[in-house]
Amino acid sequence: MAIVKLDQLGKTYGKVVAVSDVNMTIGDGEFMVLLGPSGCGKSTTLRMIAGLENITEGELSIDGQRMNAVPAKNRDIAMVFQSYALYPHMSVRDNLGFGLKRRQTDKAVVRKRVDEVAASIGLTEYLDRKPHALSGGQRQRVALGRAIVRDPKVFLFDEPLSNLDAALRVSTRAELVRLHRELKATMIYVTHDQVEAMTMGDRVCIMNNGKVAQIGSPMEVYLNPASTFVASFLGNPPMNLVPATTGEGVVESGSGRIAQNGFQPGRKLVLGLRPEDLCPTDKVEDAVVSGRVTSLESLGAETLVHIDTGGTKPVILRGGRNIPAQLDQTLHLTCDPAMARYFDAETGVAIIPGEQQ
Amino acid sequence: MAAQTRTRFSPAGLRMAALMLFIALYTAYSAGPFVWVASMSLRTTSEIAANPYALPWPLHFDKFASAWLDSNYDTYFFNSVVIVLSAVALLTVIGGMAAHCFARYTFRFKGLLYFLIFSTIIFPPQVTVIGLFQIMVEYGLYNNRLGLVLVYVSIQLPVTIYILEAFFARIPKDLFEAARMDGYSEWAIFWKISLPVALPAISTTVILNTILLWNEFLYAVVLITEDDKRTLPLGVLRFLGDQLEDVGMIATGLMIAIVPVVLIYVFFSERLIQGMTAGAVK
Repeated sequence: MAIVKLDQLGKTYGKVVAVSDVNMTIGDGEFMVLLGPSGCGKSTTLRMIAGLENITEGELSIDGQRMNAVPAKNRDIAMVFQSYALYPHMSVRDNLGFGLKRRQTDKAVVRKRVDEVAASIGLTEYLDRKPHALSGGQRQRVALGRAIVRDPKVFLFDEPLSNLDAALRVSTRAELVRLHRELKATMIYVTHDQVEAMTMGDRVCIMNNGKVAQIGSPMEVYLNPASTFVASFLGNPPMNLVPATTGEGVVESGSGRIAQNGFQPGRKLVLGLRPEDLCPTDKVEDAVVSGRVTSLESLGAETLVHIDTGGTKPVILRGGRNIPAQLDQTLHLTCDPAMARYFDAETGVAIIPGEQQ
Repeated sequence: MAAQTRTRFSPAGLRMAALMLFIALYTAYSAGPFVWVASMSLRTTSEIAANPYALPWPLHFDKFASAWLDSNYDTYFFNSVVIVLSAVALLTVIGGMAAHCFARYTFRFKGLLYFLIFSTIIFPPQVTVIGLFQIMVEYGLYNNRLGLVLVYVSIQLPVTIYILEAFFARIPKDLFEAARMDGYSEWAIFWKISLPVALPAISTTVILNTILLWNEFLYAVVLITEDDKRTLPLGVLRFLGDQLEDVGMIATGLMIAIVPVVLIYVFFSERLIQGMTAGAVK
C-alpha cells in the first residue's frame, strides 16, 4: 500500500506534448480511475507511473520517495495489461510465479503463494495449462493473479477489461471491486469506459488533450462537471449543452428560460441540462427548452426523446417507458433550477451563479 | 459409356493427375542423385561397373567401417562437429542478442548499423577470401580451428540476424514490459522471454546454419591446410583423390559426410518450416 503523488508530471516525444502538468495525489488504498477518450494521455500517465516511459517533466513519488529515475523493476508496482501479456511459453503456474521468483528464492514459498492466489481467483485447475489453452476470461484472471501474487505497493490496470465480452466484463468488474476491498491496495485504473469509471473508482480523473480536466468522486464529476468537455464526455447520453444568454433573474435558452439569480444580464454562456433532469410540462412559461420531437428511442426501461430546439444539436430527454411523447409533437421541457449547470461560452469552464467570473 | 468416361477424366481429376506427375518428376529430379549415391555407397565398385543403376544387394555396410578407418575420417568428423557446433552456438547467442536489440530498441545509427551488417552479404566469398586469408595469417588464426569458427560466425551472422529480427519484431512489446514490471533486467528478459518465445525461429537458424556450415568448403580449403585440422568437406576431397579408381568407396565417403545433415533435416524439417512460416505469438 502506498501514496502515489504526481507533481506537474509531463511527457513529450520530441516536440509532441503527450501529457502536461498532471497533478494528483492518490491516497493509500484508493482506487483511482483515469478516464478519457483515446489519445488523451491516460495510458502514458500510467506508463510513467509504471516506469515504462521516461518522465520528461515534473516529479513522481511513491510514499514520499522520488521515483523519476527508479527503474520499473525496482518500483514494486504490478501492472495488468490490456493484452494480458502472459508469457506464452510458460504454464499458468510459471506465469503466476515469474515475478515472485525474482524476489523470493525459496521455491516452496513461491509455490505456496501461487497456490493461494490461484485458489482465490479460481485458477487452481488450470495451473498446468499454457495460456493458449485458456479462454479470454481465464487469461484475464491469470494476468490479474500475476499482479496479486507479488503483493505490490501499487496496482496499475491498463484497460484490462476491454478484450472481454459484455457479460464477462460486468462480472470481472465486480471481481475487481471485491479484490480492491479485500487487498485494500492502492490501484490506478485506466479506461475509456465511463461505466467502469463510475462503478469502480473511489475517485475519477478525467483527462483530455494530455491534461487533467477534472478529479473527483464519480458522482461529483457527474453532477458538477468542471467544463463542457467533462459534461459532454460523462453520461450516456451526455449532458445537453444549450447556448444561452443571461437576463434579469433568468437564463434564456432561445426556446425557453430558467429562473437563475446571480448573473449579470447580457452574458453569453452554455446551459447544461442532464437528460434525466428534464421533464415534459404543459406550461410554456415553465419551459427551459421547447421544440419538435424528431425521434424516439425506446430502450425498454426508458425512452430517449430527441427534440429539435433550433440549435445545432438536438436536446435529449431521458424519460420513462410510458413517456407521453409522439413524433413531430411540440414538447416543452422543464428542469429543476438546482440541477441546471452553467459554463462560460468561450472557455467552456463551469460557472457558479453568484460567483464573480 | 461416354458419360462414364467423362466422369473418370473430370477436369479436377486431370489437374490432380498432372500435379502428382509433376511432384513425382520433381522428387525424382531432386532426390535421384542422392538415392543413387546412397545405393552406390552400399555396393562394391565391381558391382557398380556391372550395373550402375541396380539396387544394392547384398548390402556392404563394412565399406563404411573401412572408409572411416582408412581415411582419417574420425579426425575430420570431429573437427567438423567442433567447428560447426561452436560456430552455431556463437551465431545463435550473438545473432539472437543483435536481433533482440534491432527489434526492440531505438538507438542512434540503428539504420546505418543494420546496413553495415547486411552490406557484407553482397560481396561473393571469392572476393573477400584473399583479404580474409591475409588477416587470418596476420592474427595467427590461419590453420586454426578457432579462426574458421570466427569466419563462419561472421559470414552467417547477417542472415541469422535477419531471420531472428523478423521474428522478434512480432513478439508483442507488452511481454517485455510485463517482465520488466515483474522485476527482470533487460539481460534476464532476453534469456527468459525473447529466446524461449522465439524458439521456432531459433531452431530455423540453428538448422540452416548447421547445414550450410557443415557443407562449407571454400573458406575451409583456403584457411586450413594441416590434415589434422581439416573438416569433412576437405576430407571428402582428399578421399576422392586417394580413391580415384574406386567409385563405390567414393560414394561411401560422401555418404558419411552427408548423413548427419540429412538426419538433422529429416528430424527437424517440421520445426524448420514452422519457424519460417510462424505467425504472431499469441
